[in-house]
Amino acid sequence: MVDPIRRALLALWYLALLAIPASAAPLDRTMFAGSLCKDGAAQVGAAEGLVRAGGDLPADDLAFAGGLLGALAERRLTCPPDGALLLESPNAAGGQDAVTGAPRPSAEARAPVLGLRQRAAVETARGVVALLTEETPAARSAGLAVLERRIATVPAAVLDRARNAETDAALKGTIAGLAQGAALSSPDPTRRRAAIAAVAASPSGAAAARLAALKGDPAYGSDPAFRAALDAGLAKVGRAVTIGDGLAILYNGLSFASILFMAAAGLAIIFGLMGVINLAQGEFIMLGAYATYGVQEVLRRFAPALLDFYLVAAIPVAFLAVALVGIVVEALILRHLYRRPLMSLLATWAVSLFLVNLVRVTVGTQNLQFAMPAYVSGGVPLYADFVVTWNRLFAIGFAAATLVLTLLILRRTPLGLDIRAVTQNRDMAACLGLPTRRVDRLAFGLGSGLAGLAGVALCPIYSVNPGMGSGFIVDSFMVVVLGGVGSLAGTLVAALGVGGANVLIEPISGAVAAKVIVLIGIILFLQRRPEGLFAVRRRR
Amino acid sequence: MTHLTRRSFVGTAALLAAPALIRPAFAADTVKLGCLFSSSGTMANIEGRLNHVVRMAADEINGRGGVNGRQIEVLTSDPASDWPLYAQVGRQMLQQEKVAALFGCWTSVSRKSVLPVVEQNDGLLFYPLHFEGDENSKNVVYVNSPPASSVLPAVDYLMGQDGVGAKRFFMIGSDYVWPRTINKQLKGYWKSKGVPESAWREEYVPFGFSNFQTLVNQVRSFASQPGGQPIVVLTVVGSSIPDFLREFANQGISATDVPILGLDMVEADLEGLDTGKLVGHLNCWAYLQAAKGERNKTFLGDWASYVKAKNVPFSADTVIDPMVSAYDSVHLWALAAAKAGSFAVPEVREAFAGLSFDDPSGYTLTMTGENNYVSRGVFIGSVNEKRGFDVLVQSADAPKPVPFSPYG
Repeated sequence: MVDPIRRALLALWYLALLAIPASAAPLDRTMFAGSLCKDGAAQVGAAEGLVRAGGDLPADDLAFAGGLLGALAERRLTCPPDGALLLESPNAAGGQDAVTGAPRPSAEARAPVLGLRQRAAVETARGVVALLTEETPAARSAGLAVLERRIATVPAAVLDRARNAETDAALKGTIAGLAQGAALSSPDPTRRRAAIAAVAASPSGAAAARLAALKGDPAYGSDPAFRAALDAGLAKVGRAVTIGDGLAILYNGLSFASILFMAAAGLAIIFGLMGVINLAQGEFIMLGAYATYGVQEVLRRFAPALLDFYLVAAIPVAFLAVALVGIVVEALILRHLYRRPLMSLLATWAVSLFLVNLVRVTVGTQNLQFAMPAYVSGGVPLYADFVVTWNRLFAIGFAAATLVLTLLILRRTPLGLDIRAVTQNRDMAACLGLPTRRVDRLAFGLGSGLAGLAGVALCPIYSVNPGMGSGFIVDSFMVVVLGGVGSLAGTLVAALGVGGANVLIEPISGAVAAKVIVLIGIILFLQRRPEGLFAVRRRR
Repeated sequence: MTHLTRRSFVGTAALLAAPALIRPAFAADTVKLGCLFSSSGTMANIEGRLNHVVRMAADEINGRGGVNGRQIEVLTSDPASDWPLYAQVGRQMLQQEKVAALFGCWTSVSRKSVLPVVEQNDGLLFYPLHFEGDENSKNVVYVNSPPASSVLPAVDYLMGQDGVGAKRFFMIGSDYVWPRTINKQLKGYWKSKGVPESAWREEYVPFGFSNFQTLVNQVRSFASQPGGQPIVVLTVVGSSIPDFLREFANQGISATDVPILGLDMVEADLEGLDTGKLVGHLNCWAYLQAAKGERNKTFLGDWASYVKAKNVPFSADTVIDPMVSAYDSVHLWALAAAKAGSFAVPEVREAFAGLSFDDPSGYTLTMTGENNYVSRGVFIGSVNEKRGFDVLVQSADAPKPVPFSPYG
């Protein structure tokens, strides 16, 4: 029998809990700050303790802990013997005492480095703090996104408190959905089924794994309703994941194709018109990327407010700068070699070596540092596991715009007419009074300029260094030859075909074999059809 | 009259073209050291720096009066990331330039191609990269660590409680000998620890590969399968590293979801990346720029002023392990040559036994007479926001290197 006094005390305790839940167990700030300065286990303990208590802690304690954890993650928390110290920035001369906030000089002390386990715990704890204390819905929802990654470690009390306090309706719905989904192992069968439905409502590979784990649950055998709910949930998630994966393949193929197309478009014109095998095309791409870097640096110096738009501002600059380089190369070197294709091949190779080394000597060999504005960094999960990455989308859009513009130039402008005439029958065009040499020069400029544009599109995707061009030359020739020399439509189709084939084969046989298989395929195709996919009719 | 075959034509052409590959500095009563580091091709950005570090170390020694009364002359070359060319340039340096020692190679495939050349000519190659082990030539000095004292401690850390308790492994490597051997040894190691075969996946990409979308998709779907914490063991090299990291971050995977252990990842690979989303990924080397101690401060200062004085086209404030290892190599050679009182390879090799050198990492490098391996410390680094690595774990002392792996 339970002692009545103890029972009364317990009852009082519960009453107290009910009456003032928010101040039930205030955070021991000194101990919290102290733990963050101890070893990894203590740090994890402190962060996990904060997450567990997060449902009850007063808001100012949460904010205090959040500040400390943020400083720890950013290495602004040092640990001198007289207690943890918060710095404004890493290695600052002075800071505030972590507990009292009193200013103190910074002594030579250890600034703890977070290991991965600690980092995960600290991230979760910061997510809890952000969800519960941040002012703006955006910041709260960023906190929620962090918690979603490790939803199993978040206690229901935290989600309940966040939901009750939430003022933003959409966010409130998301929190409620998450809270519902967190009840997968709840003893109440109804809540459990609701949880399955909630998890299945936002399908992903991880959701599939969470649901599949429930198949081993005893209820799966004994409770038909549960079984039906789980099977339905699994089927729904499985379908969505398959669709998402299909979309991802499509997107990957399209994005690779857009890169191939950008790299090959200029070559299609140069090779098609003049039969010049321009081995410096890759270096023209590299120059376009360096021109973009130049624009970025100029904007950084003179108009920092517009820095985010450097990629747009670089479009005309890169085009014109590289077109100019192309025209100079044509006028100085290639003009004399038109009747000698082997010589022009060697000459353009020399140009490519010259350009690489020129850039290496003048700028250096390191990868260039680009600012990554929001429209080309990160991505957004669109459906199931399908993530649209902004930099790739940028390249796809860029390639589409380039295609349209180039087609317009070729089909709708006098220059385009001249280029097409010279491509089809050079001698006849000359007889009719077309200045074929000038057309050659302008076409070479146009082709080079397109390579410059490719450089702009590639900046957010690949590393930019003097050697970057060599990686493109083989692929772009492959695309141009497969597409049919001189045909832009052929180049487009070939880029889509090669890109798609690579992406389809890669998961099955690996990236190395994919390259080989695609090359063999192209060779076989060219055996059957040496003129490529789309042959431009021309008279010889 | 001899008939001009294609083969003899190519041979003559190569012979005629070859002297242009080597750039000598000056000729006097000097002792020559040769460098085999590419300044073009896919390895240029990282290998190119090592030429300058060798020069810097030689200048340092020359400033103190040289070795055995002779000044050091450094010959550099450009094998253009073309593996067979390393052997050709190496042969030329040994046979025509009569260099006392070679310093060179980054990738194991280039070392393997130089190996027969140094063995035939009884030369000495100082190899500054950590590598797959399983090789023990008396003509190569393995200045950096074999897997037992670099990769395995890092994998152990990740599998342990201090790390993430990793249970599943996605191996992505460039397709050549180093990644394949490392992964083979890792699989043997995991087997010995009772990790089931279904817990790992292995994918390879060609050199210079950059389109990592599909692979990162595969990592994500691998990560969402059940079976415990996944990690990525990354053994791609050269420009593939930053391209992989960028795609990884853009698809929204953070180090706390799936950490990457980048075995060839150095500070220089983070140049040009926004590392805010990459914080926490790991690497393991015998030196990190963030290493504590006066010797490191001095080295960083020396490099910065060398870059400024000689107008070197590399970043003055990025220093990577192979740079320090190349610097150590020159000093180790100089110590051995001074101890032997000779530049002849057999005598220098004799002198390796018992050699020790305090290097910038803070550890004391030692060599025994048993083999040409060097004891180095172990660092595990963690990517930070400032495109560098913080020292996460550091060994208490420099473990004795184990050349041959017992794990396959």
